[in-house]
Amino acid sequence: MSFDVLFNQFMSGIARAALLFLVASGLSLTFGVLRVLNFAHGSLYMLGAFITYTIWKTILIPVVGFYVATFLASLVMGGIGIIIEFFLLRRLYARGWPEQLLATYAIVLIITDIVKWGWGGEFLSIPRPIPFKGAVSLFGFPFPSYNFFVILLGLIVVIFLWWLVYKTRLGDIIRAAAHDREMVSALGIPIPWLFTWIFVLGSIIAGLSGAVTAPFGSIALGMDIEIIVECFAVVVIGGMGSLPGTLLGSLIVGLVYAFGIMFKPELALAFIFMVMAAVLIIRPWGIFGRPER
Amino acid sequence: MKRFAVLITIVFVLSLLVVPLVMAQGKPAPAKEPAKAPAKAAAKPALSKEPIKIGAIYDFAGPCYMYSETGMLGLRIAVEEINAKGGILGRKIDVVVRDTEAKVDVAVREVKDLLLREKVNFLIGPCSSGTGLAMQVVHTEYKTIRISAIANTEAQTVDKFSPYFFQVVPNTYMEATAATRYLNKKVPAAKKFCTINPDYEFGRRQAAAFEEEIKRLVPDAEILYHAWPKFGERDYTAFITAIMAKKPDAVHSSLFGGDLVAFTKQAAPYGFFEKTPFIALYDLPVLIALGPDAPEGTFGFARGDFFQDPNPKMMEFVDKFKKARGAYPDAWAVQNYDAVYLLKAGIEKAKTIETEAVIKALEGLSLDSLRGNFTIRPLDHMGSVPCYQGTIATDPKYPFKVWKDITRVPGEQVLRPEASVREIWKKTGVTR
Repeated sequence: MSFDVLFNQFMSGIARAALLFLVASGLSLTFGVLRVLNFAHGSLYMLGAFITYTIWKTILIPVVGFYVATFLASLVMGGIGIIIEFFLLRRLYARGWPEQLLATYAIVLIITDIVKWGWGGEFLSIPRPIPFKGAVSLFGFPFPSYNFFVILLGLIVVIFLWWLVYKTRLGDIIRAAAHDREMVSALGIPIPWLFTWIFVLGSIIAGLSGAVTAPFGSIALGMDIEIIVECFAVVVIGGMGSLPGTLLGSLIVGLVYAFGIMFKPELALAFIFMVMAAVLIIRPWGIFGRPER
Repeated sequence: MKRFAVLITIVFVLSLLVVPLVMAQGKPAPAKEPAKAPAKAAAKPALSKEPIKIGAIYDFAGPCYMYSETGMLGLRIAVEEINAKGGILGRKIDVVVRDTEAKVDVAVREVKDLLLREKVNFLIGPCSSGTGLAMQVVHTEYKTIRISAIANTEAQTVDKFSPYFFQVVPNTYMEATAATRYLNKKVPAAKKFCTINPDYEFGRRQAAAFEEEIKRLVPDAEILYHAWPKFGERDYTAFITAIMAKKPDAVHSSLFGGDLVAFTKQAAPYGFFEKTPFIALYDLPVLIALGPDAPEGTFGFARGDFFQDPNPKMMEFVDKFKKARGAYPDAWAVQNYDAVYLLKAGIEKAKTIETEAVIKALEGLSLDSLRGNFTIRPLDHMGSVPCYQGTIATDPKYPFKVWKDITRVPGEQVLRPEASVREIWKKTGVTR
């Protein structure tokens, strides 16, 4: 097997990892701070894609239309995040896991029905935006330039989140709150609002990732569940709530899948979950995670 | 275990069928017959003027949602037309719609409810081959006829044959066989192939039929690689690079719907469609969704979208559909329309809605459908419905891309030969 073939498959894996990271980072962030396993994160991603489509279709600005739509849709998703956090999640922080899961699963069902009602079941599609229509040559093999855009966006989100969490005062508070929310609260920091904004940030990332997948594939019902299952694999492997863990988890899942497809296509999906099972046995809290207290 | 249950059910039902025959010959029926299946339909007096109830069961979830929606529209147009002209045998048609949520257990529950509580006389549906196979066990047990107008796994008519099931959609075997012949005709020199199919019942059967047919057409054909993306996959990049690394002469696929839209958009920047002859289920909804991104010169197969068979009857239906929906009808609407008319023809020939009589009437019945004439083969209740293939091209008449070089393969040319059906029945235990 020649180098260029392997390299190409490697790049396919990286592209997939970037997409997974975009979605999983929002999931991991909300879990890390809020300690809520947001089952509806995939639904926010789906809704983000549909809203992007509608805005793109309505404004019809040439060239930059998609980018404007992506930006606006992310903002809208932030707004929806406020509503969900304020009216629902806020009441659940003190409750147990089962209730949180049930409540976020309810959001999954609600959003599915909203999408059915608002957009119907047709699969929609946005053409790739300029200048990412074609491909660039990598070692004489074409590589779609839109995949570069997704990888780039993934990197920007990594750097932004890293900067936010590790380099700012807000980040200090976030990390402190994740560690011991009573103590932070006792220091006079309004925890409820902090949580709202974290959830909003998570929703914005979900909306953004939904938006960038729109020109990548198709926008259709069912994309929520499809992504959330793989995202859970990512965060379980990398460690719930850990940013470097999510990055590593995405890379592992993306690359294992890409090479699985090449060498043993029947088992490609199974490989991911074998890795997940192995991690769960050896380090139940994930590679970068820390044990539940 | 499941297969065993199906087998037992079929054996029971068939043995129940045997009873009247034995009685007619003046011999006492064997006492072992369990009175398992309630003979509900037979209890209905044929002369009553109460409506004929059709249970329409579809999968209003996930990728099947859209097909179920437009399918229902085709079904409703047919029912309204028939009711406006006085119904069937002077009885109006009532439609009760149920949703399987694309789940097997819900499908079984809803079909039972349709049969026992709603007491429907006939069933039409569903969309998914998975829910279709599950409900087949139930309506067979309760001796009620079902016609499939979207779900098309061959298992429904062959492996798990039920006398209570009729098919108006080319099954996976017919569809893949016809598509393979078209691909072979277009690229006769191709010897090395890859396939990419959704990893479930439908895709597995398509791939198997392709492999069977291509080896018949090109004896030294070689299948280099089978790709099995999961149904609903969003990211095909790794599949595309893996296929291209094998350098195939042509690629066969049964990807459809949103999956095919995603695949096409992701494969285009690789120059996939310029390098590789490719055939997949490029039907009307996919062509509309892709818009300008639909790859011209690539091959498609489908089941009868309006532009594939522009006969006068079809064009008349196009007008009706456009009035109802403001859009062009796709094959899913066409097939459902045909399913209702097949039922009508069967009931009128039988002059009753009594199940066994309608089955007899439907066997061998020819219908002048939107897709031309087809006949229900008595052997396996498979309609000799046509398969369509073509090459994607622009037509200034339409705001979306359509096909050129369209081939209409009559069902008779691609039906699984009787001997082959019986061969499979020997293995699966169907006696007929």
